[in-house]
Amino acid sequence: MSNLSSFVKRIRDIMRNDAGINGDAQRIEQIAWMLFLKVYDAKEQDWDIKEDNYVSIIPEECRWMNWAHDDHSGEALTGDRLLDFVNNTLFPTLKEINVTPETPIKKSIVKTTFEDANQYMKDGVLLRQVINIIDELDLSDYEESHAFGEIYETILRELQSAGSSGEFYTPRAVTDFMAKMINPQIGEQVADFACGTGGFLTSWLKELDAKKQTAEDQEKYNNSIYGIEKKQFPYMLCITNMLLHDIDVPKVYHDNSLIYDVLDYTEDDQFDVILMNPPYGGSEKADVKNHFPDDLASSETADLFMSVIMYRLKENGRAAVILPDGFLFGTDNAKVNIKKKLLSEFNLHTIIRMPSSVFAPYTSITTNILFFDNTGKTEKTWFYRLDMPEEYKHFSKTKPMKLEHFNPVIEWWNDRKEICVDGFDKAKCFTYDELTQELGYNLDQCGYPHEEEEILDPLDLIQRYEEQRASLNAEIDRVLAEISKLLGGVEV
Amino acid sequence: MTPQELKNSILQLAIQGKLVPQNPSEGTGEELYKEIQTKKTGLIKTGIIKKTKPLLEITDDEIPFDIPESWKWIRLLDLCSLISDGTHKTPTYVENGIPFLSVKDISHGKLDFSNTKFITPEEHYQLTQRCKPEINDVLICRIGTLGKALRIDIDKEFSIFVSLGLIKLIEKEISNYIALVINSGYGFSWIQRVKVGGGTHTFKINLDDLRLMPIPLPPMEEQKRILSKIEKLLPLVDRYEEAYNKLEELNKIFPMDLQKSILQMVVQGKLVPQDPSEGTGEELYKDIQAKKQELIKTGKTKKEKPLPKITDDDTPFDIPESWKWYRIGEVFNIINGFTPLKSNPEFWDNGDIPWFTINDVHNQGRFISHTEKAISKKALSKNSERIVPSDSVLLCCTASIGEYAYTRIPLTTNQQFNALVVKPEFSNAVYPLYVFEFVKTLKDTLIKNAGKTTFNFLSVGKLALLLLPLPPFEEQKRIVSKLEVILPLCEKLGFYNNSY
Repeated sequence: MSNLSSFVKRIRDIMRNDAGINGDAQRIEQIAWMLFLKVYDAKEQDWDIKEDNYVSIIPEECRWMNWAHDDHSGEALTGDRLLDFVNNTLFPTLKEINVTPETPIKKSIVKTTFEDANQYMKDGVLLRQVINIIDELDLSDYEESHAFGEIYETILRELQSAGSSGEFYTPRAVTDFMAKMINPQIGEQVADFACGTGGFLTSWLKELDAKKQTAEDQEKYNNSIYGIEKKQFPYMLCITNMLLHDIDVPKVYHDNSLIYDVLDYTEDDQFDVILMNPPYGGSEKADVKNHFPDDLASSETADLFMSVIMYRLKENGRAAVILPDGFLFGTDNAKVNIKKKLLSEFNLHTIIRMPSSVFAPYTSITTNILFFDNTGKTEKTWFYRLDMPEEYKHFSKTKPMKLEHFNPVIEWWNDRKEICVDGFDKAKCFTYDELTQELGYNLDQCGYPHEEEEILDPLDLIQRYEEQRASLNAEIDRVLAEISKLLGGVEV
Repeated sequence: MTPQELKNSILQLAIQGKLVPQNPSEGTGEELYKEIQTKKTGLIKTGIIKKTKPLLEITDDEIPFDIPESWKWIRLLDLCSLISDGTHKTPTYVENGIPFLSVKDISHGKLDFSNTKFITPEEHYQLTQRCKPEINDVLICRIGTLGKALRIDIDKEFSIFVSLGLIKLIEKEISNYIALVINSGYGFSWIQRVKVGGGTHTFKINLDDLRLMPIPLPPMEEQKRILSKIEKLLPLVDRYEEAYNKLEELNKIFPMDLQKSILQMVVQGKLVPQDPSEGTGEELYKDIQAKKQELIKTGKTKKEKPLPKITDDDTPFDIPESWKWYRIGEVFNIINGFTPLKSNPEFWDNGDIPWFTINDVHNQGRFISHTEKAISKKALSKNSERIVPSDSVLLCCTASIGEYAYTRIPLTTNQQFNALVVKPEFSNAVYPLYVFEFVKTLKDTLIKNAGKTTFNFLSVGKLALLLLPLPPFEEQKRIVSKLEVILPLCEKLGFYNNSY
């Protein structure tokens, strides 16, 4: 078994000396395509054994086992020759692989993964060193493969502090919690329409893994995931992640979930379970908004995803979605309409409020988990505020959130009681009427008493300011409209 | 549009007859006036009320705006049996008795009995011979605070002070409308025109003027329709006011929060990308240590007791790998200022050594190129080590904790300020303007760490322990350049948001 514990450190130390790598995000991008090829190579060897006449979609000279693997005969490419091969042969070939609609997914993913991949390194000798470390991995060994899956997770976690790439990564404590509470069953399918690096999908698989018993179950397990990711980089990471979890035919697509008319979706497009952390802070233009009915056409990306979710959740299906505070308190027209639809057509049974440093350092915006199902309208909604654990002032790279920090919620889940701490509501139940009529769809309840106002990142701060200003302006518009009506109306 | 502007606009519409349409079947203001006259004459004949002064006709230039045909301009006294004020003599106040009201008890828009003075029932009876406030009368503030008319809506015994005016209408049903007129924009401007006083005297409204106030009078039913509509609109104006005030507040704090947030981004290393070619914190640290040893060997620096090591728990947030945390005391020599004895002219006369206080920031801004005051060489003689070299950051550690400045000249400061002077071994590692930006983020930390004396005060020792995140030198320069573009934009935002 190779030296896994120092895997990440050794690669990082080598890459630091290459002038082409500027920062953590690029370093991870660079490792990503190499890991993908290595993992794919391991899979191919497996398929070669199990299938008669397995033919690789990759031309022979570009297969990892041929160009990357160093058999110590002194022939292995290095230095400028290696750079030349990678830049001028390997990349162009893989990007232009011929793929048709008939190409099976497990072959077409080579092209879709490589489409926008980037080779940043400028030093062929250093590149060879990195390749060798990666090649040491023995992924045919179950133990090692499983252990590497964990290492891969730590690589993904580094995205959280790699500038804006943090948007692709949801902390595993959170995805594990949501997967656990959603309670996967063999035979069900889960979808994540902005799957990023595949966090929700892997957490789902972990939960489902314990429930497998027969070979039939295994089949169903393999077919239980579905993902869409718009950006190339996380898409590649997700595919690799799925392959590492033995999903040989990952139904994960490099596509934009928002450019399909929601009204065209049929039962075939619907799923038993949806788990998601949609991107927020995006501003969508008319060409995207056109795919949504007017009253739901928000410019805010997360709002549009909520609509997609509502149209793609099967009857009796269950969903858990992470949304920012802006969605809860926002009362601009689109948000009110989306919340109206959510509360009147779906059962929004639980909202868990999370403390602000969960996504640190990528963002300090406060987020919430909304749990709802497609069983009928909301009668009542329970709010629960998860407080920071005793010993933590805030979560950080060195002290990240752990699944056990969710234990208070898990204990409370099946025995729900109202809780009040120091005069502030921590857990409380609101009826449909209270939420809609008294509170006017403002779901910002059981919030954090602001002892020390956390300073948000400028972009998040601007976002929140614009949302608050929009809500206030919407309120002002509504009041002025009513006043105008009274002033212009004809007296009876 | 402020909520008050909205309210005024609606009320103005109302008293111009444009809020609700006229209805000919309801009669005219003229007819209403005639009825009131008849009633008044009757009451005078039966001795219930006294005769009132005859008034001059309303002239054209007294009329401020047009009213519908069916309305009529009438002077206020012609609608009343009496317009008077409360007692001019201060009564004898008692613990319990009959409430005695003045401006403070009506100026918030409602009759407020929770804080009134009291007089004896006997005295109250005396006062009511001249001035008896009753239900459906209108009260108005006429001294100091002016206007704020309201209808007495409860049946309760009370007397009033001279600062309140009493308007007794013949037709009680028009009280609410009359209060509305007085409280409208028209009422307000009218009061501004007739008021007397000013300078050292308080403003007041003379009763003679009040009696002559022109009132635009609609027929009774129309008044009721106007009031009913206003009742529907006022809650909406309140809602508008709430949202408006929240928006004002939001716009006020946002630019400041944004600046705070940007500075936080700076010290966390997120404002500009890291450039590995600029070196790492560890390499830099080694260089600095080496330099330090050199200086100690050649006697240029004294060896100092090391400050406590920085642990993970001490650091408030993560910084990029190429940065390094330092304690302020490691990087800077902290010079605390002093004030030479003010009574000794030798220290001050013909002083040519600049002596800095917070006033210099108020006069010049944060970049100091000269000081208002100066001290003499003699004052400095025993304090020569307290001279601060140029390009140092000055930090206020007491009174206005968190205030800061950057000096472009060598100077001395008063004891409210500590100067952060870069230690020689750090001279190539620290860009002073970066430190200037960094100290902007310290205010809350300084306050938290200051002692609890009357004037919070942060000791040099405590200041030395505070943490400074230090990027590579070139990165510090890049950060400062970027801020020089962004921060003025934030200031502009503050100006736009608050300029109406």
